[in-house]
Amino acid sequence: MNDTLILSKVSKSFGGRTVVEGVSFSVSPQTLFGFIGQNGAGKTTTMKMILGLLPADHGEIRVNGEKVSFGQTPTNRHIGYLPDVPEFYGSMTAREYLALCGRITGMNAAQIERKSAELLHLVGLEKAASRIRGFSRGMKQRLGIAQALLNDPSLLICDEPTSALDPLGRKEILELLTLAKQRTAILFSSHILSDVERVCDELVLLHQGKIVRSGTLEQVKSAGRDRIDTLEVEFRSAEELARFRTHFPRSRIETPFTARIEESDEDGILDIMRILAEHQLPAKRIEKLEPSLEELFAETVHG
Amino acid sequence: MRTLTAFMHKEWIESVRTGKITLLALLFVVFGIMNPAAAKLTPWLLKQMASGMAETGLSVSEVRIDALTSWAQFYKNMPMALLIFALAFSGVLTSEYAKGTLIPIVAKGMSRRNILASKGLMTAAYWTVGFWTSYGITYGYNAFFWDNGAAAHLTFTAFGLYAFGLWLISLLLLFSTLADSGSGVILGTVLLLAAVYLLGLLPTLQDYAPVRLLETAKLAAGSGAPSDYAAALAVAAVWIAANIGIAALRFDRKKI
Repeated sequence: MNDTLILSKVSKSFGGRTVVEGVSFSVSPQTLFGFIGQNGAGKTTTMKMILGLLPADHGEIRVNGEKVSFGQTPTNRHIGYLPDVPEFYGSMTAREYLALCGRITGMNAAQIERKSAELLHLVGLEKAASRIRGFSRGMKQRLGIAQALLNDPSLLICDEPTSALDPLGRKEILELLTLAKQRTAILFSSHILSDVERVCDELVLLHQGKIVRSGTLEQVKSAGRDRIDTLEVEFRSAEELARFRTHFPRSRIETPFTARIEESDEDGILDIMRILAEHQLPAKRIEKLEPSLEELFAETVHG
Repeated sequence: MRTLTAFMHKEWIESVRTGKITLLALLFVVFGIMNPAAAKLTPWLLKQMASGMAETGLSVSEVRIDALTSWAQFYKNMPMALLIFALAFSGVLTSEYAKGTLIPIVAKGMSRRNILASKGLMTAAYWTVGFWTSYGITYGYNAFFWDNGAAAHLTFTAFGLYAFGLWLISLLLLFSTLADSGSGVILGTVLLLAAVYLLGLLPTLQDYAPVRLLETAKLAAGSGAPSDYAAALAVAAVWIAANIGIAALRFDRKKI
């Protein structure tokens, strides 16, 4: 029962259109929790309800056991929030902005000084002395993480933190989040599935306001297939591949040098290895393919 | 309390760095100097025109210029300064809605009441310092050139105009919690001002309408007594309190 965040049957509609419907999940401490869905699936709405920026129509949200209320929201003292496109006061410097945040959350001057230095170093902005107005998107995103972590929140909410960034910026933010996980529970929304696969421990898949899949990354992936594994064998020549196929006609050609075999039997891989050994076929690579989250997502969304 | 001062400090940094403070300082200093300058220049201007006018058969008699002439300019010009001030502050909250800058602040646990309070206090402080600077400058020049004794109830007269400014600021704040854009704030305030002005034309209501505080200049010229404006002042005070109360309740539920 000491989950950092608990949502029970939360619903929200705007003008008769249901945006979030009966959403329940919980996030435990030191977990990077993926909140996955297409644009418009209800991710941001759900996050805004957790922050008390929008009222929930039904259901209950608890942060550290305290119920979230709309308007006056004392539970926000436990939360660090990184909006999808964070906007800060352009005429202040990063250090000044962190000082403002620190004072708002009741930190003293020494704590602010120490934490700001530590976090600016963590996000690589310790040398950025210019005003925020001149920051790039990636820099604002990094300042966003620093401000969100400033008062050691027990829950960090990141709304699409990587979506607006280039590959290098995305990699940096994901590394930062993995580091931050040691200190806090993280709710991370995204529609970039490769990012989610890289860092998340658990996830829910939201589609049209409802949760359609949930669990650990492994659970979600294995639920997607009816235990049919795909095995891939790569050879060094087309000739070797052809020889292999005469002994293993079930396989289909994937690329000029590789074959794929659908196998429902756990021991299927042993049969392949036996054939390779018996016929002296020195395969370059043999691999059991995991279904990608991408495929799973497409499967779920398109039925 | 600390969150309040932290946010007020942020407001100050922004005002300084965006040049708002420089603009306000310039505005109120210019409006302070303008009044005695206009009074001082009147005889000279008339003399320049006198020769031309004599040819058309008009004769200009000697005009008497004293502190009262300068104070009359003050009461004529300061509403214009207030108008510029109000326009400059119409986006005090709406510009933050537009940029989304309040979201991380509220998400940090800052109470919305404190945000509203620091916005209101800072705006009122700028008006207070600005208005009394203009007053001080005019007062100083008048004392140097003439004698301020010519004008009656000087402080009270100015206070009426100052209080009207506070009432207007409370309206700006209220409409900032109702509207989403700066133009919405201006529209709401202008419509309400027009309504109050029209109601103030009714004989039964004229003593109570806050717009009456714009007429305190008559006091300086020696007509009427300060007590004539007591009702309008009281109404303005209660109205300010009501504006703040409604704004606070409304801002609690405002989508930011």
